[in-house]
Amino acid sequence: MLNQRFLRVVAALVAVSLGMAGMMHTASASVVGTRAVMLQAERADAVARVQAALDREAVQAQLVAHGVDPVAASERIAALTDEELRYLDGRLAELPAGAGVLEVIGIVFVVLLILELVGVIDIFKTI
Amino acid sequence: MMPCVRGLGLLFLMCVLGGCAAQRAIVSGAPSLQGRDAVVELGETPFFPQEALQCGPAALATVLGAAGVDADPDVLAREVYTPGLGGSLQLELVAAARARGFVPYVIAPEADALFAELLAGRPVLVLQNLRLRTWPAWHYAVVIGVDPSAERVILRSGTERRLEMPAARFLRSWDRGGRWGLVLLEPGQLPALPDQARYFDAVAGVEETGRYEAAARAWEAALAVWPGDPIARFGYATARHLDGQFAAARAGYEALLAEQPGHAAALNNLANLLAKLGCAASARVLAERAVAAAPAGGAIAAAAAETLARLPADATDAGDCAAADARDP
Repeated sequence: MLNQRFLRVVAALVAVSLGMAGMMHTASASVVGTRAVMLQAERADAVARVQAALDREAVQAQLVAHGVDPVAASERIAALTDEELRYLDGRLAELPAGAGVLEVIGIVFVVLLILELVGVIDIFKTI
Repeated sequence: MMPCVRGLGLLFLMCVLGGCAAQRAIVSGAPSLQGRDAVVELGETPFFPQEALQCGPAALATVLGAAGVDADPDVLAREVYTPGLGGSLQLELVAAARARGFVPYVIAPEADALFAELLAGRPVLVLQNLRLRTWPAWHYAVVIGVDPSAERVILRSGTERRLEMPAARFLRSWDRGGRWGLVLLEPGQLPALPDQARYFDAVAGVEETGRYEAAARAWEAALAVWPGDPIARFGYATARHLDGQFAAARAGYEALLAEQPGHAAALNNLANLLAKLGCAASARVLAERAVAAAPAGGAIAAAAAETLARLPADATDAGDCAAADARDP
């Protein structure tokens, strides 16, 4: 009972915040998108839709927490699909985030230096 | 004291080597260059030297440039670079490509799929892990060429305009990175080796983010490879519908319903479309059928109930509503 009322309140809040943010991509809420047909085998019910909206807010907050400008974060969130948001939520820091090669070169140097210092290798003395 | 420290160093070295050896075992059955002989190099691919940790924006600008879109890595950084992570997430590269009108297709995790794209003239944005599985160093680069006889792969990578890498070494780094590769397809273009689930997923994303015209062209292309596929047919009609191309959408839904009269989503969408065209009575008939046909508790049932609720029981038709009525079994 309480649970249902809670869900209803959350759904209403989310619906309002989504409406204000103008983030709903589908032109009309009652037109079924192709993803829903693709996911028909799985359960894509009303609770899942509420969950997607919650993911949207959570991922946006996580991006901001990771140094993304709030305005940019809300634009970035709008470019992601519900599934992508669900995937990202809470996992941001664990996922591969491609960076660069410089770091690796630095690490190799440090490893060589350690090996040199402890006497396992002997390459820097020739320089 | 010294031998002890030396022993530690040796132990460390052995750990590192052990890590490599363990990887080789995982890599068995890994992608290889065997059986290929055509040399490819997409030399026209632009180059954007990477700044600091921003290989994501640079690699994305590279594939966008190859696809004919001028892109500035500094501008892209705002969309795909996350300072707190010191890098870019794969899904955000996908989203940024999509936002520029492309169908972002993630290739099958096989060397064949990667090289087939090169042969089709598309460079591939790849994720590499330059270190160990257990201690990764993620890096995005763009594969622009392959020379099978020399066992070499050519990349735009970091600050290197033309990085030639032994194929085995590249493929190991790609394997450690989860064999992820992204190509940008123009809507209507198909991947070199089309994988249905991957392509459909990409196109559904295009539709979901509101690029209906692009989605319609992409679904149309899908029907050339998978003729009559019900998801592609539904996708085409829905994308046309959401794009405001009502005649094409209606024809699409009706053709699908002629074969699958119980397609709840198509019934529901056509009901919405007819209501918009002034055929409220016909729409109501379809909405009732949609409610009856939709699996209980699902998103389609919810949408159908909503559609029906908006159509009064004493609704009347106005306009060309005949075709839909004729299909009522």
